[in-house]
Amino acid sequence: MSSVWLPCGDYHQDYREDQGWWQTRFIKGKMILLLLVAFVVMPLLLDGYWISVATMVGYTAMGALGVQLLIGYAGLLTLGHAAFIAVGAYTSTMLVLQFPWPQFMLDAGLAYPVSILAAGVVAGFWSVLFGLPSAKVKGFYLILTTMAAQFITVDFVLTQYISQIGGRGQAFSLPPGTIKIGPWVIDTELSIYFVMAVLLSLMIIVLANLLRSKPGRAWVAIRDNDIAAEALGINIIWYKLLAFFVAGFMAGVAGAFWVCNTAALSPEHFQWFLSLWLVGVILIGGVGSIQGAVFGSIFMVVVMELLQLAVIPLADYFPQLLMDFAYIKDMAFGLAICAFLIYEPNGLAYRWWQAKNYFNLWPFSY
Amino acid sequence: MELFFMSLTTGIMVGGIYALVALGWVLIYKCSGVLNLAMGELTLIGAYVTYSFYEMGMPFILAVFLTLLVGIVLGFLTERIFLDRLIGEPILAVIMVTVGLSFFLKGLIGYLWGSDTRVFEPSVFDIKPISVGILKISPVYLWSFILAIVLLIVFVCFFKYTRWGLSMQATADDETAALSLGVSARFVYSAAWAIAFMSAGVGGALLGNINGINISVGYLGLLVLPAVVLGGLNSVPGAIVGGILIGLLQNFSGTYLDQYFPGGVKEIVPFVFMAVFLLFKPYGLWGWERIERV
Repeated sequence: MSSVWLPCGDYHQDYREDQGWWQTRFIKGKMILLLLVAFVVMPLLLDGYWISVATMVGYTAMGALGVQLLIGYAGLLTLGHAAFIAVGAYTSTMLVLQFPWPQFMLDAGLAYPVSILAAGVVAGFWSVLFGLPSAKVKGFYLILTTMAAQFITVDFVLTQYISQIGGRGQAFSLPPGTIKIGPWVIDTELSIYFVMAVLLSLMIIVLANLLRSKPGRAWVAIRDNDIAAEALGINIIWYKLLAFFVAGFMAGVAGAFWVCNTAALSPEHFQWFLSLWLVGVILIGGVGSIQGAVFGSIFMVVVMELLQLAVIPLADYFPQLLMDFAYIKDMAFGLAICAFLIYEPNGLAYRWWQAKNYFNLWPFSY
Repeated sequence: MELFFMSLTTGIMVGGIYALVALGWVLIYKCSGVLNLAMGELTLIGAYVTYSFYEMGMPFILAVFLTLLVGIVLGFLTERIFLDRLIGEPILAVIMVTVGLSFFLKGLIGYLWGSDTRVFEPSVFDIKPISVGILKISPVYLWSFILAIVLLIVFVCFFKYTRWGLSMQATADDETAALSLGVSARFVYSAAWAIAFMSAGVGGALLGNINGINISVGYLGLLVLPAVVLGGLNSVPGAIVGGILIGLLQNFSGTYLDQYFPGGVKEIVPFVFMAVFLLFKPYGLWGWERIERV
């Protein structure tokens, strides 16, 4: 944490200062500027299409944060995160559609916000259920159990049973105007963007706070050496399950957000591809840093959009290209993961850190 | 009772194909310690390449043989381009490279061959099932089962008696020690991938004869994982036994559980079983137990 460059002559006097949020005035200013950009500048500058791209970036980042917590901080490999996003999305939808809400709550627009919280809790416990084997196994074997979570949850429970509730076949759709937060109806791209921005900021704040307090230190200790961590008196099973709960909670919230983004829901949205995609995002962004999850999401989503934009003009000459775009996307994603792992295993966050260091000393480097 | 025997034979025969693919998986793990999640795509490539050769009018055996050659080349290339630089990296990096590889190959296959189901025309094996008493076995299954057993014997002998097999095992056990004894690790790794491509190619060629080939056949590469876990990650006989057990489990659950949990219980049972099995016996039936020391 204390990778912060302090002005010359400043020293941290105690631990509390060392772990503080705003260590220098510059950082405080930077963060406020970032919030201003996210909440004021971006909505003003971007048009409808790019706002929806930004929303996708946010959704990816929400999912990736949970994966980052599990893989990057707690060292628990997971390849089934989409399952927990799906559980959150379905919980939220079922609550909004089927739960007998009292009229005053509907009037106050509380149904959807409450369902977001419920989605988080349900997804969190579902995640803990599949995290139980982590008490006994780790590494590759944990990948297998989380994969099992993916197939059991999405391909079986959700597709075969939950989707049949209400008798409408595979997909749920939410009637317009159902999703209300307080007095605001979430139906335009801009309002969806704001929901995303608020949720993502909250998530980042919560996660950053967790990571600089006791659970965060315990997770890092478990990641670095679980036997040594146990010897230090850390209850590793409890903290591993806590990591699964928090990651599941975040996935649930991300899923609940996805509902308001698409207003429709189908198991197709949560295939194994999404789980792999999220792990790819944090690998490209950088494992073990919160910025990494955000950088990775920005990189992957924007690159894929640019790829699509680049393919469209070519389609006049090669009509095959547009039809096969899904395959090209797969290939690009696969190559991107391989290239990053081979040439830049530390990810984009490391590059960012290097650049920051360079400019900290600029123009008088050593 | 007839239903029981039907499920039993189908289970064993389907298990034979799982065993073939699981064998390729175990080989890579045994030789290089790489956990390969791209196995399904390797199988698909095998199936499509055989299909393409067969469509050119070659006899099936020759097509399979050429597929093996293509498999060797592809295996060497994959290892050299992607995995060679990752020796000694953390497990997640290596696994994710194979995931990236699987995406790349899936995209490539889709781009080259499209998403339509291809069927071997004219069909290679007799469609009429062979009757043994009350049992009916379709020849495709029988051949893949026989092939799995033959390959099992070949590979067990290979690992036990040949110079290459021994050097592969040595590398998997302790890379540094093997290097100091003059084993070329790079050669061993490439050879492992070449063998895995070949075994997946044979599996794919046989699978393509059952229901035709399309991109969803790659799902099989994942179904193999429960089989591998059950048998133990680095045990060649374990892969065969695990494959057959998973095939049996699948068919029995399809026969008997489907009425209680309708819809797709067959595809899910191996994964449920795997998740529970890992809780109790994470090293499988015959896998090496790794004892961890600080």
